[in-house]
Amino acid sequence: MLAFVLLLVPAATGCVAAATPWRRWIGWLCTASLGFVLVTGVVLAVLVVHRPALSAFGGVLRVDALSAFMVIVIGAIGLLAVCQSVRYLEREVSSGRSSARRATLYSVLVQGFITAMLLAVVAGNVGVMWVAVEATTIITTFLVGYRRTRGALEASWKYVIICSVGIALAFLGTVLVYLAALHAGGVTHVSLQWTSLMSVAHHLDPGVMRLALALLVLGYGTKVGLAPMHSWLPDAHSQAPAPVSALMSGVLLTVAFYVLLRFKAVADGALGVGFSRMLFVTAGLLSLAVAASLLLSQRDYKRMLAYHSVEHMGLIALGAAAGTPLAIAAVLLHVLGHGLAKAVLFLASGEILIVEGTTEIDQVKALLARRPALGGVFAFGLVALLGLPPFSLFISELNMLRAEVHVGLGWVAAISLVLMAVIFGSVMSHGRHMLFGARPDGEVAHKSPLNVSVPLIGGLVACGAIGVLAWPLDTLLRAAAMVVVK
Amino acid sequence: MNGATYSSFLEIAAGLVILCAFVTLWRRSLRAIVRTLAVQGMALGVVAIVLGVHRRDVVLIVVGCLVVLAKGLAIPTLVRRVLANEPMSRETSPLVNVPSSLVGAGALTFLAYGATRPVVALVSTSAGRLIPLGVATLLIGFFSMVVRRKAVSQIVGLLLVDNGIALVAFLATAGVPLLVELGASLDVLLVVVVLRVLAVQLWSKFAVLDLDQLQELHD
Amino acid sequence: MNGLTHVLTQVLVALFQVAAVAVGGPLLLGLMRKVRSRLEGRAGAPIHQPLLDLRKLFAKQRMRPRDSSWVFGAGPVVLVATVVAVTAVSPLVSASPPLGQSSDFFAVVFVLLLGSVLLALSALDTGTAFGGMGSSRSMTIGALCEPALLVAILAMAIAARTSNLPALVRVGISHPAVIASPARILALASFLVVILAESGRLPVDNPSTHLELTMIHEAMVLEYSGADLGLIILGESMRLVFLLGLFVNLFVPWGVADRPGVLFVGLGLLALVAKVCAVGATIAVFEVFTAKLRLFRLPELLAGGFVLALLGALTAVVR
Repeated sequence: MLAFVLLLVPAATGCVAAATPWRRWIGWLCTASLGFVLVTGVVLAVLVVHRPALSAFGGVLRVDALSAFMVIVIGAIGLLAVCQSVRYLEREVSSGRSSARRATLYSVLVQGFITAMLLAVVAGNVGVMWVAVEATTIITTFLVGYRRTRGALEASWKYVIICSVGIALAFLGTVLVYLAALHAGGVTHVSLQWTSLMSVAHHLDPGVMRLALALLVLGYGTKVGLAPMHSWLPDAHSQAPAPVSALMSGVLLTVAFYVLLRFKAVADGALGVGFSRMLFVTAGLLSLAVAASLLLSQRDYKRMLAYHSVEHMGLIALGAAAGTPLAIAAVLLHVLGHGLAKAVLFLASGEILIVEGTTEIDQVKALLARRPALGGVFAFGLVALLGLPPFSLFISELNMLRAEVHVGLGWVAAISLVLMAVIFGSVMSHGRHMLFGARPDGEVAHKSPLNVSVPLIGGLVACGAIGVLAWPLDTLLRAAAMVVVK
Repeated sequence: MNGATYSSFLEIAAGLVILCAFVTLWRRSLRAIVRTLAVQGMALGVVAIVLGVHRRDVVLIVVGCLVVLAKGLAIPTLVRRVLANEPMSRETSPLVNVPSSLVGAGALTFLAYGATRPVVALVSTSAGRLIPLGVATLLIGFFSMVVRRKAVSQIVGLLLVDNGIALVAFLATAGVPLLVELGASLDVLLVVVVLRVLAVQLWSKFAVLDLDQLQELHD
Repeated sequence: MNGLTHVLTQVLVALFQVAAVAVGGPLLLGLMRKVRSRLEGRAGAPIHQPLLDLRKLFAKQRMRPRDSSWVFGAGPVVLVATVVAVTAVSPLVSASPPLGQSSDFFAVVFVLLLGSVLLALSALDTGTAFGGMGSSRSMTIGALCEPALLVAILAMAIAARTSNLPALVRVGISHPAVIASPARILALASFLVVILAESGRLPVDNPSTHLELTMIHEAMVLEYSGADLGLIILGESMRLVFLLGLFVNLFVPWGVADRPGVLFVGLGLLALVAKVCAVGATIAVFEVFTAKLRLFRLPELLAGGFVLALLGALTAVVR
């Protein structure tokens, strides 16, 4: 029942936002609903971490440790993004770039987007998961095109076309899994439930499952942003409003990856780990290579962050390929850490865009000297994303690499280290260009408003804290990993 | 309905679906292409109805009727509205010329037969043998999205992909459970609406019809 | 004694078929022209006009270009000879023609091709610009048609498990379901496209034009006169009737004489005439409403035909 309330609150908030013209308090109401999501996520985690999963509506909704963890991820990053949306919308409305009606539309769509993501992670039925992921595509299309510039419309066109095709393939994969399950003795109306799929996993037809898993990796992989289906990602993430980019990059990609993890568990039961490992290693290494090559000559800092997401998705794909409990726990930690750091960076970049008026790396100089708070957040965010201690990405990357070596994927770990070094170098050089330098004469250091710096610093602190403190997250991570590793 | 008539009805309806996919590659006039799409949607609905009658499955018959309404009437009407913007509604310069794309589509059909062998082996009914046709429709949809440059052509390609998948779903499993089926159909309908809104905005604000004109974002 | 009767009947059937096609060819041309002119609001020439034309042509003196070789003279003769040969052994009037066992669909197509190739060669032989242009275009179309035709035959052959023509027709008589199968329908649709292209009808070629830029077939035979021209017209019209006859018998085999006897052969002839006339008239009506395709668009049409045939073959394989 709690799962249902979890979906209801953001949806109801969306309805309220739709019914009243946009005011500041609507923004704070939305923020509060995300706070509720985060708290509920924690409550759910406590409820299911050592106990069997909760389910509702005959198994259509189902919450286990993995779902609860994803709810926490959505809640945490959503809180950051929605909180910053208030400031974003205020500026848009006061500068006359968008009317109050469009601000209402924005709030409603963001709430719908979050509800759809929540539905995807608490759905117990893989068909419903599919419907929810597809719904996120439809909703975010308008958010990507919110600014209605030529670039934004182009990005949303590419986004919806590529992702719809991808997700259509995922549907075909789902149908094939359903077919295999029916032939393995499943009952028609529950065969799409993940638990019943897991229970017949060993009897699923291997030939069909191979085809299905390939289609699912292609399909959901498009949504995750794995190369070579990543081409929509930099466009969409660079054109969307900053809070939306933060949500998409921080959570949406990993929600799609969560669905893949579920299917991987089913397919591994039928095929053994070899086949899925091959698929994930291929996609992961390709993503790293694409990100490395395109980050070298990147001129736009939002696109730089977007390609950085491609890199991180590649990393978690490699981690999932290893597939040990340690690796999956590290993957999940990485999901949370990357989500927080990436959201902070996108929000900071949105702020940079507001104050500097450009997205070109060349045009932004000496941020640390000119805007100490904003520059500091951006700098520490980059440090976190590059996987330096004390941030949690260091721990998770280290553990994923360890797990890869442990299962005999040492060569993969070696290649990914080389590519990560390339990425490290290029991001460092771009970052140095933006951050360091002397303040021009006569310009005073700008202060950033508190409602910008406090949430962003809070996000970074959280990212650092989960890197340093194991408790209480590690119990949950371990329980969540055991859900998809047998 | 006895076995022989059932399977020949099914064959003809499924054959019509793939034939329409080929016709969309063959024709240049976008109006004709959208009309073909409507025929394909109806054929798809007929497949579901024939299967439903054969299996005495009322839900499947209802779903088939809905498919006829949605894919045969509603969606083509929506797409046709986009065409109202375009004064020259012809696919004048696809990246691959028509004969080559037809031959390419033929090759894709073979590929579909090859790729679906395990599925056909598992299903082993007379409907199951037609599954490759659905996969071939899907591949042709992809192909036309890649080689065609008009906004409407891309929408049509996407719908071909979707129809192909629906055909596979009907033939392989007699349709997924109703909840998922409804969700999926609603999603497709919404995607078409979204694409339509985007296409209208692109045309009315920037006079963009051809996707080659969308070159602003790149690395 | 019985064997001799059998051989005699067979020879008679063969002669009968050839004669029917030889007379029917020009008459079909006349019929199609008549339908066309009526639809265009003209009275038109009588249906037997092509026969009168032929008589006149055969009475005329032969003129041959000075620089041409024996190929020029051989072209028309080979054209007629190949059509006569395939007509004699094909199931047009009777479903069990002489030498029926060796009347293979592939063989028939290639024998017919021999006539076309020789005609193209003889057009080249004159050394004129039009001849070269015509034969180049004609061979282009031929090259595009051939794959479609072969795959179409393959589709029918797979579905019926034989490429023997009489057997293909007999399968249609004994198992009507085979005709309604997607494989046969697709293959025959493709076959029809190829027939239109090969015999130079609209929308591929306009048989009644002498405009330099558009003509294909007419450009090839521009240098011919007298009896040579008569042979070419006869050969071409016989080929059209032959192909259409084959098409209708594969599609609607009813009425074909499937047992010996004057009565059955007569019925078979009547059925054939009716069916071919119907198809010919339909084509004529279609031509009234169709414009000739640009030469560059032709590959699209023929690729469409090819794909139809390919689909037919695929569905045949899967059954």
